[in-house]
Amino acid sequence: MTSTFVELDVRPILRGGGEPFQEIMDAIAKLQPGQGLRLLATFKPVPLFSVLGAKGFSHEDKPLADGEWEVLFRPTGDASEPAPVGAASETSEWPDPAQHLDNRELDPPEPMVRILAATEVLKQGEVLSALLCREPIFLLPELAKRGHAWRGGFEADGTTYKILIRIGVAGQAAA
Amino acid sequence: MIGVSLSRWTMSYFAAALVSLLAAEIMMAASCGFPSAAIAAPETLILVHVVVIGWLSLLMCGALLQFVPVLVAHPLYSNALALPALVSLVAGLAGLIAGFLQLDGRIDAGIPFFPFAAVLLVSGFALIVWNLVRTMMAAQTIPLPAQFVGVGLVSVALTVVLGAIFSLVLGGAVDYAPFASLTASGLPIHAVAGLGGWLTFTAMGVSYRLLAMFMLAPELERTGTRAAFYLGTAGLAVAVVGGVLAILSEGNLPIVLLAAFATGLLALVFYGRDILHLYRARKRRTIELNSRISAVALVCLGASVALILLLLALGGLDEHIGAVIFLSVFGWLSGLGLAQLYKIVAFLTWLECYGPVLGKAVTPRVQDLVVETRAGKWFLLYFLAVCAGTVALLAGFPMGFRFAAVALLVATAGIIAQLVRTRRLADVKAAGRFPQGAQRPRLLRSHAA
Repeated sequence: MTSTFVELDVRPILRGGGEPFQEIMDAIAKLQPGQGLRLLATFKPVPLFSVLGAKGFSHEDKPLADGEWEVLFRPTGDASEPAPVGAASETSEWPDPAQHLDNRELDPPEPMVRILAATEVLKQGEVLSALLCREPIFLLPELAKRGHAWRGGFEADGTTYKILIRIGVAGQAAA
Repeated sequence: MIGVSLSRWTMSYFAAALVSLLAAEIMMAASCGFPSAAIAAPETLILVHVVVIGWLSLLMCGALLQFVPVLVAHPLYSNALALPALVSLVAGLAGLIAGFLQLDGRIDAGIPFFPFAAVLLVSGFALIVWNLVRTMMAAQTIPLPAQFVGVGLVSVALTVVLGAIFSLVLGGAVDYAPFASLTASGLPIHAVAGLGGWLTFTAMGVSYRLLAMFMLAPELERTGTRAAFYLGTAGLAVAVVGGVLAILSEGNLPIVLLAAFATGLLALVFYGRDILHLYRARKRRTIELNSRISAVALVCLGASVALILLLLALGGLDEHIGAVIFLSVFGWLSGLGLAQLYKIVAFLTWLECYGPVLGKAVTPRVQDLVVETRAGKWFLLYFLAVCAGTVALLAGFPMGFRFAAVALLVATAGIIAQLVRTRRLADVKAAGRFPQGAQRPRLLRSHAA
């Protein structure tokens, strides 16, 4: 049962032309067990629903005046952190990758550039698979902003990082 | 894993750091401080602290606010704490300079500058350490490079505590006898903890990851890497803890420092072996300017160690300690800092400006933000000036050192001009500079996600 909500108002950041993703993630990271997040935004933050859904939060949205939205994120207690690839139960819900990229020999940040270019071409719901030589730390916030979901982890060799990206509601992410 | 975004204030730290570097070089060119003044003279102490707090520490703090999250794959604990920390550090440095001027009798104001400086510097570094430690604690794993940074953060805390004790004693705020003994004899420990523990050990940790990243080399976490970490940590512990105990118990401080140096030397041998391996095992055959210049800086680290050994063997380390410190601070730490800054500013600016439109529009490459041939000439002049300055100090030729300092100043100004051009995207062809949706970077502050 969620008894309390921590409130986060990102409307000033959005009105100022900023990008509140980090603030939201920081707030989520600081929640106590059982606590939820009450988010106030200037638009319906659809991309967040899948991102926080993967972290084990359900959502309930409510329109406010002037096109603004209040969203309640409640912990459901079944967070599915992006698991290392190979955990069959995790990957079974996703379709087979529609495209494979091997970016291990590319100079940084070329792997990120190619992955983002590929995500723009694929259709919603399709999956992109890419091999990298390290965790794509700067890529992930960009995927989240564009509304894509991902799962990644190092392969058994310990040097190849495999990421699966499912194309999400990219059109609305730009809202 | 939710990735890492841009650190909002890192560019402000870099700017404040570079202004301090220019100020220090102007002081050296104007014969202010060592070698024209004694090594413990207030003028020299001002110069030293402008370099180590103003330039190197602000550079390191700015870089860590961005790269600790990368090292531990977890977002920074707080972007908001970074600004008060910067303000506190800059104000603390100003207070410290005023305190040294008071010590020198140049200003006679009744304001207790030293205690003010101590409070501000302790607060500033405490905010940085708190922010970075909280970031590390929230991470799932702390890889070895981040563990080096962890030891660096402990070292900066110890350096600042010792420095604060010195300030309080020198400022007349405290006359507790053990603190007075530490102030009288503890300078080498303060210097080893700051230059060795905070700046060098942290730079070593960060260099493992940055060099591997930019040269497509394997991430190293082998036995030798762990040996470098444990030996280095042990050497620092001997120097700081052993050194403080030696002073308080009136023991033999030089023997303790020698033991610490021997342990630290072994750590550097393992580190050197790892770095050679990184350069040799790289997949990227043609490496960029930052990695080439970093190699020169690493050679300067080796040269500094060789110089210490030579002076220990021949006798005369005390007499030439200024040359050793100059070579390690300007050749190794500043050389590495400027080299990595050259790449980091380009990469972060590229990510900030073009990240939102990658894949949606044609964007320039990171390398389109820089002109390496032009920057390379300034870096060449920089390192020639470092060599000339070191030789002039060893030869006891202050006028030669002054010329070297002027060359250093000119080279640094040239490098800074390149960094500003990069930040302004001045070298990107105008036609493709701002595709629709690109974010125009501000000079001193990043659009943090």
